[in-house]
Amino acid sequence: MRRPKYLYGVLAAALLTAVMLNLMLGTVSVSFRQIGSIFMGHGDSQLLNILVNYRLPRMLLCLMVGGCLALAGAILQGLIQNPLASPDVIGLSKGAGLAAVMIILLFPGAPVGIIPWAAFIGASIMGAALMFIATRFELKPTSLALSGMALGAMAGAGIQYVTVKHMNDANTALLWLAGSLWGRSWEHVWLLLPWAIIAVPLLFYLSFRLDVLQLGDNAASGLGLSVRHIRIVLLTAAVCLTGISVAVAGTIGFIGLIAPHMARKLTGPIHKHMLPVTALLGAILVTFSDVIGRIVISPREVPVGIVTAIIGAPYFLYLLGKKK
Amino acid sequence: MKKLVLHSTLVLWVCILALAGCSTAESTREATASDQAEARIIKHEFGESTIQGIPKRIVALEYSFVDSLATLGVTPVGIADDNKPDSIIAPIKEKLGEYTSVGSRYEVNFELISSLQPDLIIGDVSRHKEVYAQLNGIAPTLLLKSHGATYQENLSSFPVIAEAVGKKDEAEPLLQAHQANLDKLKASIPQDEQRTVLPAVVNAKGFFAHTSKSYAGSLLESLGLKDAIHSDEAYPQLTLEQLVEYNPDVLFLMKTPGEQTIIDEWSKNPLWGTISAVKNNNVYEVDRGVWSLSRGIISAETIVKEAIGQLYP
Repeated sequence: MRRPKYLYGVLAAALLTAVMLNLMLGTVSVSFRQIGSIFMGHGDSQLLNILVNYRLPRMLLCLMVGGCLALAGAILQGLIQNPLASPDVIGLSKGAGLAAVMIILLFPGAPVGIIPWAAFIGASIMGAALMFIATRFELKPTSLALSGMALGAMAGAGIQYVTVKHMNDANTALLWLAGSLWGRSWEHVWLLLPWAIIAVPLLFYLSFRLDVLQLGDNAASGLGLSVRHIRIVLLTAAVCLTGISVAVAGTIGFIGLIAPHMARKLTGPIHKHMLPVTALLGAILVTFSDVIGRIVISPREVPVGIVTAIIGAPYFLYLLGKKK
Repeated sequence: MKKLVLHSTLVLWVCILALAGCSTAESTREATASDQAEARIIKHEFGESTIQGIPKRIVALEYSFVDSLATLGVTPVGIADDNKPDSIIAPIKEKLGEYTSVGSRYEVNFELISSLQPDLIIGDVSRHKEVYAQLNGIAPTLLLKSHGATYQENLSSFPVIAEAVGKKDEAEPLLQAHQANLDKLKASIPQDEQRTVLPAVVNAKGFFAHTSKSYAGSLLESLGLKDAIHSDEAYPQLTLEQLVEYNPDVLFLMKTPGEQTIIDEWSKNPLWGTISAVKNNNVYEVDRGVWSLSRGIISAETIVKEAIGQLYP
């Protein structure tokens, strides 16, 4: 259909550019030539160290976090049949945020490395609660959306309460809530990688079913789809993808909302085409935003979640305004 | 086009694996490099670190460690000063030489720290424990109490820092000299001083009391001055009503010079005039950088000098 001819080529080029910029730019900049000589094994050991220990894991996390969050958003928009749905709106990231903020502020003595797990559990509890409440209404899209928003509001209130109560120590928590890849390392990559690998085949399995769901419950059942069953699978997938990305990177907002919309503008609504583009766009956006966040006020950094919102929003508005 | 995507992904992965391979080889080589030098084991808040010889290139990730290092006559090569050189207070700055800012204390810049090739990193246990492994991968890292530490806790990290930088013998005389300086200043406090004192950070967000569980509060208490509120929290946020209720006789308002604060609003409220400190003209504005951020031997003496200068002119 209206899928531009060279779409994948352009996206691949954009992705490679974002990846290279992410590797090259930062407080210490590494030139293209230096990266080349590091590959050949005779580069500067100091740069090699920076590249391998900081840039590379961060870049990989950008790709995976961006891809997973974008996919979660696309799945939720298809499931809820509402263009405003995203992991933030239906409360999944808020649940993760509340758990993480509680660990950071109420239990400062908690063991190191527990925050990602707490965040993942927070998102899962939120997902389970949502599922529990919404199954009583046969998982209808509107009831999913509304109960998600209500649960999200509750978690949001909890986050507010805890941060205001601990205003003096709140900075660390606020940085986490803004979504940041600072200080993330290979261990986070290994945490996220299996999920990112599972997500790819899952997405192809689900894409056709997401299309059928758009026809409405009756038509979907008539075509032999167990609507209830497929909704549970979709919601679980969205919860896992969100939970694991937020666990690693904090609550990066906006990607889950805009990447699917951008993809839909580029490929049309058929999920088979739209989901891979969504994931690519999410990955490109986060990778690119991370570079910007790292260089604008170097040696300090702007959390990546803030940059995604700043550069994502205008482009999003432009796309919305553009006539097809 | 699909082929292109596939190929670029493949190339990328090969590169990544190659680089990951190099990194492990690199780190094992470094470990055996300097086993000749004398090794010292330093206990800190997050375990033990082995330090070879005398560290020459030190990175400090909180202002309090800069104070300690300056007291010992050592200039760190890197300081997490939030990229605001002015946040290091004058009496410390004049003892320091050139250094590189390594970014924000909350999100220190690993690339810069690593490129400074330090041989010792001193970080704060509450802020930096999540990234201890990464810091320790760059250089032996000590994590000590800084954020939220009391005056006594702060003093107790001084000998640890001194030992880490190979100046163990200098720690005791310096601490004694510090105590003597404080005792001399303390002498001007009358025996029958009954007034209650409350230091507090004031900014646009609110009024944050620094109780005897905080640095400034515990320092003033160690001089024999009375804490006005006795809280279990270090920095409780107070409303104007609560402040009136506690009714401190002396207020030290720590603010960033030139900043709008909640006091601008409170001072128009009739309740403000009922506070004993306001009635008796015992409200003093002090620099938040000195009183709250810096925390260390040099800052403690600066704070006490200023407090006593204001209270007993």
